[in-house]
Amino acid sequence: MTGKIFRRKDMTISILLLALLVVVAISYPLLALSDPNAIDLTNKNLAPSAEHPLGTDYLGRDILNRLAAGTTTSLSIAAGVSAISLFVGVLIGCISGYYGGIIDETLSRIIDIFLSFPGIVFALAIMGFLGGGVINLILALSVVHWAKYARLMRGQVLSIKENEYVLSAKIIGAGDFHIMRKHLIPNSVATVIILATIDIGHVLLSIAALNFLGIGLPADIPEWGAMLSAGKEFMRTSPYQTIFPGMAITMVVIIFSIIGEGLRDIFDPNDTGGEYL
Amino acid sequence: MSYLNVSSLCVDFLTENGSVKAVNDISFEMKKGETFGIIGESGSGKSVIGQAILRLLPSNAVVNGSISFGAEDLLSLDNKNMRQIRGREISLIPQNPAGSLNPLLKNKIQVAEVFEVMGVNKKEGIKSVLGMLKNLLMKEPARILENHPHELSGGMKQRFLAAMCLSYKPSLLIADEPTKGLDSFSKKGTLDLFRHMKGEHGNSILVITHDLDFALEICDRVAVMYAGQIVEVGPVTDILQIPSHPYTKALLNALPRNGLIPLHGHTPSRIDLPDGCLFYTRCNLRSDKCGTERPATKSIKGGVVRCHLY
Amino acid sequence: MAITLFAVFALTFFLMNVVPGGTSEMILKHTFIGLEESATQEQLAQFSEIYNLNDPLYIQFIDWLKGGIFEGDLGMSFVYHKPVLDLLLLRLPATIILALSSMAIAVVGGVSLGIYAALKENKTADHLLRFLTLFGVSMPGFWVGLILILIFSVYLKMVPVAGYGSLENLILPAFALSIHSLASIMRITRTSMLETLGQDYIKFATSKGLSVNKIISRHALKNAMLPVVTVLGFQMGAMLGGSVIIETVFAWPGIGSLLVNSIFARDLYVVQACIIVIVFLFLIVNFIVDLVYIYLDPRIRYG
Ligand SMILES: Nc1ncnc2c1ncn2[C@@H]1O[C@H](COP(=O)(O)OP(=O)(O)O)[C@@H](O)[C@H]1O
Ligand code: SF4
Ligand SMILES: [Mg+2]
Repeated sequence: MTGKIFRRKDMTISILLLALLVVVAISYPLLALSDPNAIDLTNKNLAPSAEHPLGTDYLGRDILNRLAAGTTTSLSIAAGVSAISLFVGVLIGCISGYYGGIIDETLSRIIDIFLSFPGIVFALAIMGFLGGGVINLILALSVVHWAKYARLMRGQVLSIKENEYVLSAKIIGAGDFHIMRKHLIPNSVATVIILATIDIGHVLLSIAALNFLGIGLPADIPEWGAMLSAGKEFMRTSPYQTIFPGMAITMVVIIFSIIGEGLRDIFDPNDTGGEYL
Repeated sequence: MSYLNVSSLCVDFLTENGSVKAVNDISFEMKKGETFGIIGESGSGKSVIGQAILRLLPSNAVVNGSISFGAEDLLSLDNKNMRQIRGREISLIPQNPAGSLNPLLKNKIQVAEVFEVMGVNKKEGIKSVLGMLKNLLMKEPARILENHPHELSGGMKQRFLAAMCLSYKPSLLIADEPTKGLDSFSKKGTLDLFRHMKGEHGNSILVITHDLDFALEICDRVAVMYAGQIVEVGPVTDILQIPSHPYTKALLNALPRNGLIPLHGHTPSRIDLPDGCLFYTRCNLRSDKCGTERPATKSIKGGVVRCHLY
Repeated sequence: MAITLFAVFALTFFLMNVVPGGTSEMILKHTFIGLEESATQEQLAQFSEIYNLNDPLYIQFIDWLKGGIFEGDLGMSFVYHKPVLDLLLLRLPATIILALSSMAIAVVGGVSLGIYAALKENKTADHLLRFLTLFGVSMPGFWVGLILILIFSVYLKMVPVAGYGSLENLILPAFALSIHSLASIMRITRTSMLETLGQDYIKFATSKGLSVNKIISRHALKNAMLPVVTVLGFQMGAMLGGSVIIETVFAWPGIGSLLVNSIFARDLYVVQACIIVIVFLFLIVNFIVDLVYIYLDPRIRYG
């Protein structure tokens, strides 16, 4: 299996890059080499140079430094969103598919309703009234994302719950919780996780979009979308603070979609699910 | 005079797991007006031969050898000339009737294409198809043309496709599994249809089938295939009464009327072929030589056989 | 659809009202007297009276729903002091124009490039297009918008930076909004076209002696479009969501920028109404997509 993954050059490169990003994201705040918020008005709006490889922003803050710090922000929030929405989605999808009947109908309806909101609009509205902050951002995006996983999970459970091993577990008298935990979830969660991997790109884009609009995180947390938003005022004279954060977002999203889609190709070659997102 | 001449045909499919030898050094010829059968179990490479003749194979297929039809060398013909042959000269009734009709187009549109290709007035063409559908025992042919494919039953689709292909009045008709999935009543209908076709047009028919009884009933000569190779060719009466190749014998013994004696074992992997005879592991007449040396085809009276016993 | 719509109404309403920022005191401070001041009892009472915030929530909800459905009255904007409906009607055309133009670009561009890539499968053009789509689906739309402004307005001075009213103004936002959908539609078209070309009816059409152009135009195109049509509804939703941001980047006077501004201003009824309108548009588009699908696929038409 790992052989199959590393035989693909694009996946190998993406996984290495992701590993690098994760290392940066974890070590950066720990190392605290230099403060990404350090203001230096004498050196503002600089073009890339040896001292500031990607230039400085309108407050003289080093762009590379802030981009690196932004990695921590984006990846940790995305991880939080994925964890919560996967947990909720898998749980609700599993209950819905397993019990069927009125429970399924109700839950499916709820899932449909959540899917009928354009995600970003919904998240925006929630954030608008909850106010900014890391926890609120994670909650708002989780509210938007869980339904997709729930729907996929429900489908998976429906297709495997008639299998012999599930039926025989029932006959032995295994409890519902046991069946879900031991049989249904382990046998269907892979597909959902693959979708979630592809989806991390969308989560990252949503984080950036909300912060770009100014409804995400407080100003002292470096974040790529917020950097873009602040930088755009200075686009005429110093375009770097607009260009580089966007490239950073694009790169990370590409990494996740290559990994996610690659996993999907390897594990369910017949399914084209992710492309429809 | 040979009319269709397939010689040393090899078809390999390049796949992730390696190259699949679907058709492996096959030669046979058909005479004008002859009904020739290719029989063999599913997966033996029959359909690939039919598709190689019309150059319908997917892009991962590597085709070697030669196929000549009349004066034309089909494998080296340019695309434009190949198109002149398709349908009009050689027509293929496909093996999967359900998938071979475009689900989104009315049947009428799909028939009209035949006449578009032939350059015949569509109205007259449709009229002749209506007659033909009636001949093929289809009720309400006019309504069938107004329908979409999913509204026809499996047998109806089969006959509808046959009617389309026959409308070309091709000099060679290839029918791939014409009896597949049919109940015994429809099988009888198909048999009648083929008898009728033989008598009517005097054209050549290449029948590809795993239905031994059907082939023996309708063909003049048959080729028996095993694992991508032809193991025996001969007149139907010879094959039926004095089969030469051990595999042919086993096939006949497996028929219900001969006592349903099953053939044990598996066909070899088509990616790594064994060195010796491909039938070696399942053959009860094998000798040591069979395991190490692949038999070549030899001419015997009335046909050819590929076996060390001859 | 009616149930979904009702649920969306309810969800939006209660969500907006139970969150901490949604109390009348917060709104009052936010919109009228400033955050640092504290509101007097009188101010609060007067404000609640005017904007109908005194009743229990569920009564407010029923009133709001009744007003909305029977009188077209979606409440008053705290900020503009105008009926919400008037604001929406003023802003709706801009959003619809932007969304439809972007959709047109995405569909025309995505479908034709997807078909081209499929026909050139594994050739250089195909690889290049697939590489570009990876960027297309991964770049943030607002960043694309800014880069377009940088190139075409700031450096080349070909079009104005922002504005509304002429075709020149529409080009950049429409393109920026379309790029994500264009790339996804291209991918789906390519995949679906390749799958269609491998079908047996294509093989049979070939064996009938039809030309390659006929085979593609008559037998492959429509069939390959089916999966594309099914995702159009979803794409339209993504586009409506994206328009919220793109409208803000380009100062495009549509529902999206109204929504963002109203959220900042805690203009409760306007926020609710904008969300409802966006969801409603999304549901309508999905309904139309279903009709198109039924029209295209006879297997569904006859049940
Ligand atoms: N497109 C393809 N790719 C790979 N292998 C193929 C392909 N088409 C056919 N084959 C292989 O070629 C062999 C012969 O297939 P076919 O001619 O369809 O058999 P049959 O005798 O049943 O008609 C089979 O082993 C099949 O697996
Ligand atoms: S060559 Fe040998 S193994 Fe093969 S069929 Fe003949 S006798 Fe059997
Ligand atoms: Mg076959």
